[in-house]
Amino acid sequence: MESIISLGIALIIAPLFPGIILKIKALFAGKKGPPLLIKYYTLAKLLRKGSVYSTSTSFVFILGPIISFAAALMPLLFFPFAGIPPVLSFHGDVIILFYILGIGRFFTIAAALDTASPFEGMGAAREAFFSTLAEATIFVVLILFYRLNGSLSLAEYFSGTPLISLGGGQGALMLLVIVALFMILLTENSRVPVDDPATHLELTMIHEVMILDHSGPDLALIELGAFYKLFFYAAFIACLIKPLSLANPVANSLLFYGLIFVVYLAIGITESITARLKMDLIPKFILTSFALVFFAIILTLELV
Amino acid sequence: MDTLFIALSFVLAGAVLPLLTHRWLRLCKILHTAFLAAGCLTGLYGLYTAWQHLTDPVFSFSWLHVFTLSFSQDSLSAAFLFPVFLLSPVIALYGYHYLEKPGASWRIAVNHFFFSLLVASMLLVTVADNIITFALAWELMSLSSYFLVMYDYEKKESQRAGYLYLLFTQTGALFIFAAFAVCYSYTGSLNFDQFTHLPHTVKLIVFFLALVGFGSKAGVFPLHIWLPHAHPAAPSHVSALMSGVMIKMGIFGILRLYLLLDDPTPIFPQTILVLGILSGVLGVVYALGKHDFKRLLAYHSIENIGIILIGCGLGMLGVSTGNRTMALFGFAGGLLHVLNHALFKSLLFMGAGAVLQKTGIRHLDQLGGLLKTMPITGRTFLTGSVAISGLPPLNGFISEFLIYYAAFQGLTLKGSVFFFSMAAIIALAIIGGLASGCFTKVVGIVFLGEPRSAKGQAATECGLSMRTAMLILAPACLLIGAWPEPFIRLAFAGLHDFAPLVEVTPDILGTIPQNLGLVSRLFLLIFGAIFILRHLLYRSKPISSCTTWGCGFTQGTSRIQYTGTSYAMSMVNFHRPFVKVRTEYTGITKIFPGPTRYSNKVDDIAEISLHHYLIRPLLWGIDKLRWIQHGHIQLYIGYIILTIAMLLLVL
Repeated sequence: MESIISLGIALIIAPLFPGIILKIKALFAGKKGPPLLIKYYTLAKLLRKGSVYSTSTSFVFILGPIISFAAALMPLLFFPFAGIPPVLSFHGDVIILFYILGIGRFFTIAAALDTASPFEGMGAAREAFFSTLAEATIFVVLILFYRLNGSLSLAEYFSGTPLISLGGGQGALMLLVIVALFMILLTENSRVPVDDPATHLELTMIHEVMILDHSGPDLALIELGAFYKLFFYAAFIACLIKPLSLANPVANSLLFYGLIFVVYLAIGITESITARLKMDLIPKFILTSFALVFFAIILTLELV
Repeated sequence: MDTLFIALSFVLAGAVLPLLTHRWLRLCKILHTAFLAAGCLTGLYGLYTAWQHLTDPVFSFSWLHVFTLSFSQDSLSAAFLFPVFLLSPVIALYGYHYLEKPGASWRIAVNHFFFSLLVASMLLVTVADNIITFALAWELMSLSSYFLVMYDYEKKESQRAGYLYLLFTQTGALFIFAAFAVCYSYTGSLNFDQFTHLPHTVKLIVFFLALVGFGSKAGVFPLHIWLPHAHPAAPSHVSALMSGVMIKMGIFGILRLYLLLDDPTPIFPQTILVLGILSGVLGVVYALGKHDFKRLLAYHSIENIGIILIGCGLGMLGVSTGNRTMALFGFAGGLLHVLNHALFKSLLFMGAGAVLQKTGIRHLDQLGGLLKTMPITGRTFLTGSVAISGLPPLNGFISEFLIYYAAFQGLTLKGSVFFFSMAAIIALAIIGGLASGCFTKVVGIVFLGEPRSAKGQAATECGLSMRTAMLILAPACLLIGAWPEPFIRLAFAGLHDFAPLVEVTPDILGTIPQNLGLVSRLFLLIFGAIFILRHLLYRSKPISSCTTWGCGFTQGTSRIQYTGTSYAMSMVNFHRPFVKVRTEYTGITKIFPGPTRYSNKVDDIAEISLHHYLIRPLLWGIDKLRWIQHGHIQLYIGYIILTIAMLLLVL
């Protein structure tokens, strides 16, 4: 029961955080910014509307939003929010989850190519390339975690011994992992400096250009899916940062969501003070994160 | 064993009868398909009885009073026979409508003959139990598949491809026979069971010699060169059979030899892993760079052979380190991937064949929008694409998961085992990512969007038997993905007779198969729920259609669509030192530029190096020996006498 409630809270609260990013960016720019609940308003607006479909598209275009949303929902079912056991968990679930995110991406790309638009094809090509590189980093992280406490599941990472977190036995290594995962978060969720969701030029976009032709509830599904995916990565990093676990579940949850807020704050600050990278620098950016975790693994060579 | 021979006779009847009835083409096709199907069903029943230990697994008889042909059936042969029996009738069914060439009934009958012969020879290869039997069956397999490739024998491309294939397969066979000869010279016996008594260094020589042969059959990098040439030249149902089933015989050979040698040296697994990683990563990178439909699929076969080898390599690594979990999961993942790859690769080749038959276009960048005109082909191909990308909830993921699981077991070990396990995991992750990149390209360019040429626009759905075949295979992929438990148990049953593992404990699996199935079905459930939710959301909402948003540009044609070449370019360029990209660009030089052209081609470095370092020196050397051939008969006879005399003196 507890698990379902915590999942429900996460599902409801996830769209709040991207609003925080917008607020922070506005503050940096000296503007007032949109209201905090802006994303809820957007979703409600989209759900009320109808849709326009391109004559070039087929049923794959409709499958895209549904599958990418279903894929973004899955990891949250397995995630131990604030240390509360998740709805489902078993040894090996992380591999499946990252592959399920992969099928979401497959259909997002297919839907983009279905529109016969050169811009969307371009975005799709970039998404396919960059996510492949990001996948390598993610699996290196899994290798490191397996070496640290022999677990292969989201719930085990944050409950097994030794605990995988900054406060655990291998805190120094976690610093490297946190930085690398933050870079992956920026890549996989199309944030600056990899991608700029707010730019007005379709040529420079990655994710945003792929969903140009979606509208109405379809677009709402995509947006909500993107919020969940970002929330999953942010929660992952928050669990790594979390130095201690409080006995009181309410206080513990507050601490956890506070840390998630910190992650989003970091995203907002990054977006405010950096420009987006040139396209050919992005592979290097992602490979840097790979190198960081790889270095962490080298440091564990003497441990086992 | 008897049941297998009944199956064999059915299959052989399916080979001979079409030749006799070729004047009545329809009868010929029906007889072929029916007898092949009957043979394969009998074979499946035979596998079942053998599994239940109802029949005697060993059989032998004397041939020409000189050699003994002996056969035996164990769990390894069953694991490789299962896909043969399962796929062959489906592929033959597909061939029913695929082979439609007016006035070429004799040719079709001959194709049926060799098709059945190939199936029969694969049966024999898997149950062969001594050197002679294996060698005969292996040669029969190579030759019958050569004639299948040569279906369009009057075309230059087919002749070239067929010759290349013959060259590779015969050179490979030469290496295998050399390995057997080394064994024979040490043991003096033609029996397989003597292999284990060889000294260690001889085992190494035998293994590596045979690895060249088996590797070239399987399409292991860098011995894969024949594959990307043979598949585009061969008819699609032949490609499906060869890529889906036949190249696995190379893997079978490697595993059979490994089990016979029974040597826990870490050199075997390390070699296999390195080859697997190379084939896997480079196979998919080249696939990205290729734009000929069937050539691209051929490179994907190389990639999947790589994945299977990674699984087997991890299994061997588990054996040599004594880690049973790793060994079992590695081998089982490899064996299950053999079945899975057979299913989705045949399906994909069938889809490619249908597109080829209906449009006559092989280059991806001239196709497009086929999902609307070929709905069944498009939908089944999409299923196959998701499956080959290794994504849940389809079957490709299940076997990859088992291999991942094996690799993670190796991470807690020390030294080189850790290093190889880590390399395997990273390679699998990269292969998975690139494969889904490549198949979004194929699906997106060929089946989605708008047609790029008039020929592609006029395509219609393919024949009934072809559609039926694809409609059998696509749900099969989903079935294994969503209910993996019996299939994982089947793969573990395939390890039953693996000598180094002694007995397979089923409890090692734990709840993993159930969990995998649970997640797949949960995902499908969530998908269904959202599908219905979306349907409800769209009730009484205005839905309209118009052209794609062109970012302000309103005069878009189908030619401005992104092409497969540009889609894959950045990914191919990233792997630059291993992939040779040839770009020709005339450039814009004057103020009023004339027509310019741009083209780029991805070259296979294995092919270039082979040509550069082996073929050219070889030709040069042979050229120097030209003086031996002078046309004087008496001197030729002299050569023969001299040779015989020398042989008599030496031996």
